[in-house]
Amino acid sequence: MDAKDILGLPKSSFPASQEKKPRPPKESQRKPDGVSREVYALTGGLAPLMPSIEVSHLKKRPPPENKEKVTWQWLPFTSSARTDNLQLYHWVRVVNGVPPTGDYAFAKYNKSVDVLKYTDEEYEKHLTDPTWTKEETDQLFDLCERFDLRFIVIADRFPTSRTVEELKSRYYGVSRALKIARAPSFADVSGHPLVKERYNVAHEVERKRALSSVLSQSKQQELKNAEILVEAKRIMELRVINKTEEVDMPVSTTNIETTDKAANQAEPISPSSNAQPSPPAAAPPTLGTDSNSTPASLRMLRVYLRTHVLEQTVQAASSTAGLRTIKRVDQTLQDLGVHLKPKVPTKSVCAEHLELRKEIITLLNLQKQLQNKEAEVSANRENSYVETPGTPKRTYRGDTDRPFIPESVGFGGERVGKRDHKRKTSGRFSDAPPSPPQSKRPRKLKASDG
Amino acid sequence: MPHQLEGPAAPKSQRSKVARPPEDPDSKKMQNKRLKDVEISFPIVYGTISFWLGKKASEYQSHKWTVYVRGATNEDLSVIIKRAVFQLHPSFNNPTRVVESPPFELSESGWGEFEIAISLFFHNDVCDKQLDLYHQLKLYPEDDTGPQTTKKPVVVETYDEIVFSEPTEAFFLRVQNHPAAVVPRLPAGLNLPPPGPSEILNEKKRGDTKDHPLSQWFMNFSEADELLKLAAARQQVQAHIAKLRRQLSVIDGPSQQLNAASGQ
Repeated sequence: MDAKDILGLPKSSFPASQEKKPRPPKESQRKPDGVSREVYALTGGLAPLMPSIEVSHLKKRPPPENKEKVTWQWLPFTSSARTDNLQLYHWVRVVNGVPPTGDYAFAKYNKSVDVLKYTDEEYEKHLTDPTWTKEETDQLFDLCERFDLRFIVIADRFPTSRTVEELKSRYYGVSRALKIARAPSFADVSGHPLVKERYNVAHEVERKRALSSVLSQSKQQELKNAEILVEAKRIMELRVINKTEEVDMPVSTTNIETTDKAANQAEPISPSSNAQPSPPAAAPPTLGTDSNSTPASLRMLRVYLRTHVLEQTVQAASSTAGLRTIKRVDQTLQDLGVHLKPKVPTKSVCAEHLELRKEIITLLNLQKQLQNKEAEVSANRENSYVETPGTPKRTYRGDTDRPFIPESVGFGGERVGKRDHKRKTSGRFSDAPPSPPQSKRPRKLKASDG
Repeated sequence: MPHQLEGPAAPKSQRSKVARPPEDPDSKKMQNKRLKDVEISFPIVYGTISFWLGKKASEYQSHKWTVYVRGATNEDLSVIIKRAVFQLHPSFNNPTRVVESPPFELSESGWGEFEIAISLFFHNDVCDKQLDLYHQLKLYPEDDTGPQTTKKPVVVETYDEIVFSEPTEAFFLRVQNHPAAVVPRLPAGLNLPPPGPSEILNEKKRGDTKDHPLSQWFMNFSEADELLKLAAARQQVQAHIAKLRRQLSVIDGPSQQLNAASGQ
C-alpha cells in the first residue's frame, strides 16, 4: 500500500518510462495552441490536474473598466522634516497625469523630543548639583536635543567621562525639577511621567549588570544553573510531600489512633512484618499506624466499609502525588501481581497495601532521582570534551565514571554483576515499571499456597 | 440445587426474632456512652450465585440467582443487621425487596445482569445510619471458564468489612464475644462489665449460614494469602529501593550520602 495505490496508478516500478515511450510523439502533435513547446514539455505530457484557461481567454485583455492612467514619474519633492529645503527626487505614482500633492509621506515619522530649556536663573535656583557643573549640564542638554535622547550616542560624544546612567540621571533629574518648579503647584504635575517615575540609578546599574551576566554566561554555567534549578525544584517537591505527611501525622495520632490502639493493631500485622526482614537501607517499616488511620470524614459516619477507607486514602494520595504517578503505581502493582484493590481487605491487608503503595512511590521517586543524576553526569561528560577541566563538578567525575553502572531496573536483579554493561550508562535507567519476569514471584506463591 | 432456593420476599417466620438488642430504657441511658478510639468490624461477604436453567430456560427466565450478604465466616449477621433491602432492576415486580431476618438473601430468576444495590439497616444500638453495598449480578461465565452448565453456578463474591467507629458501650458489650465481630482490646482505662453470658450463646446458631444450601459454592477469602502476597511484593520493592539508594549514594559520592538518605 502506498501513494500509488491510493492514486490508482500502476504498481510497476518505472511506469513513467514505459508509458512515455509511445506517447511523446503523439502528444507533441496534440500540443494545444498558445502554449509553447518548452512549457508543454514540462508538463510531461500528463493532463493538468486543474482545468487550464482556454487560449482564447488568454489572448483577451480585461475590459478597461476604470480609465485610470497610471504612470510612474521621477519628480522632485521636499520634506517638512527637513529644515534645509533640500530638494531630492523620487519615483512617484502619477494617476491620470496628476502628481500627488501634500507633504512627503514619511515626514510624519520625524519625531523630535521636546527637551526642556532652563534659564540661568532657574539653574541657580533649582538645578544646582555638586557633581555637575553648569557647563556640563548645558552640554548634556545640547546633546540631548541634538541626538533626541539617544543616551548611548550622547555618552559617546560627551566630553567628560560620564556613564550612561549618570547622564540619564542628570537629565531626568533636571527635567523633573524644572517641571515641578514651573508648575503652579505640585499636584498639577504629579501625574506627569517625569515627576511620577524617578530615575533610579542603582536599579538601572543592577539591571544592566544582571542582564550582561546572563548574556555573557558560558554554556557550562548555563547547564549548571539548569541543574541547580532542577535540584531546587526537587527539594521543594520533597518539602511539600514532607509537609503534607507532617500534617497528616498529628491528625492520625490525636484523633484516631491512640497508642493502645496501635498496640492492638500491631498484633495482626506482625506476621507479615516479621516475615520480611526489611533491608537496612530501606525506610524504617512503619507499623502501619498512620496508614491505618481512618479519614475523619468516614469516622463521622459511624459506619462504613473497610474498602471506603482504602479508596479514600488512595485518592488522597493521588491528589498529592499526581495522577500520573498513581497510574505508574498501579502499573507497578499489577507487575508485582498485586491486586489494585485487595480481594480480602481486612484492616491489616489494607494497611499493608497502603504501605506497599507508599514504598512504590518512594521507589519511583528514587528512579526519577537517579535518572536526573545520570543526566547530570552525562551532561558533565559532554562538557568535559568541550571545556577545560577544573570546575568543582569534575572532582567526583573520575571515580563516578566507573561505579555508576545501573545494574538492572527489574526487581529480580539477575543482571547484577554483569560488568560488560558498564559503559552503557546513559539511557539504561528506564523508569518503566519492573519487567514481567519478576512479577512471577507472587504468582508462584499463590500457586503453591492455593 | 436451585430448586431448594426459597421465594424471595417471604421472610422466614421461625427466624424473625433474632438477637434483638436490649430495649431496657434504664440501661440504655448509661450505655449510650460512645467508646472513643474503638472500632468494631464485621467481616462480611456479599455477592450472587447464579445457576443456568439449561433445558428449562425460557427467554425471560434463563437463570436462577441468589443475592446475599453473609458473614465472612458464615456467622450470624443479625446481631447487627436489622434488615437488608435489595434494590433490583426496575423491570422486576416490586423491585425493592426487604428482608427482615437472616439469612439476608434473595432469590430471583431472570435473563439479564444488572447492578443490585443492597442497603443494610442496623439495630438501634448499633448505628442509626444505613450502609449501601453495590453488586453487579453476573449470570454468564467468563469465556475462559468454559461453557455454561447447569451444574456449576457463576459465583461472584466480594469481601469487605463493616466498620463501626466509636460504638456505644451497650453495643460493644453485646457483640464483644460474638463470633462475627472483630473487637479490639479496649483502650487502657476503659473497663466495661462482663457481658451477660447467656445471650449470645443462646442465639448463636440461629442466623448463621454455615449449613446454607449454597454454602458449597461460597468462596474462601484468605487474609493470610493476601498478606503473604503483599509481603512478598513489599520485599521486592524494598530491595529495589535499597539498590537504588546505593546507586544514588555512589553517584553522589560519600559527602552527599546523607542527602540521599534523608531525601525520602
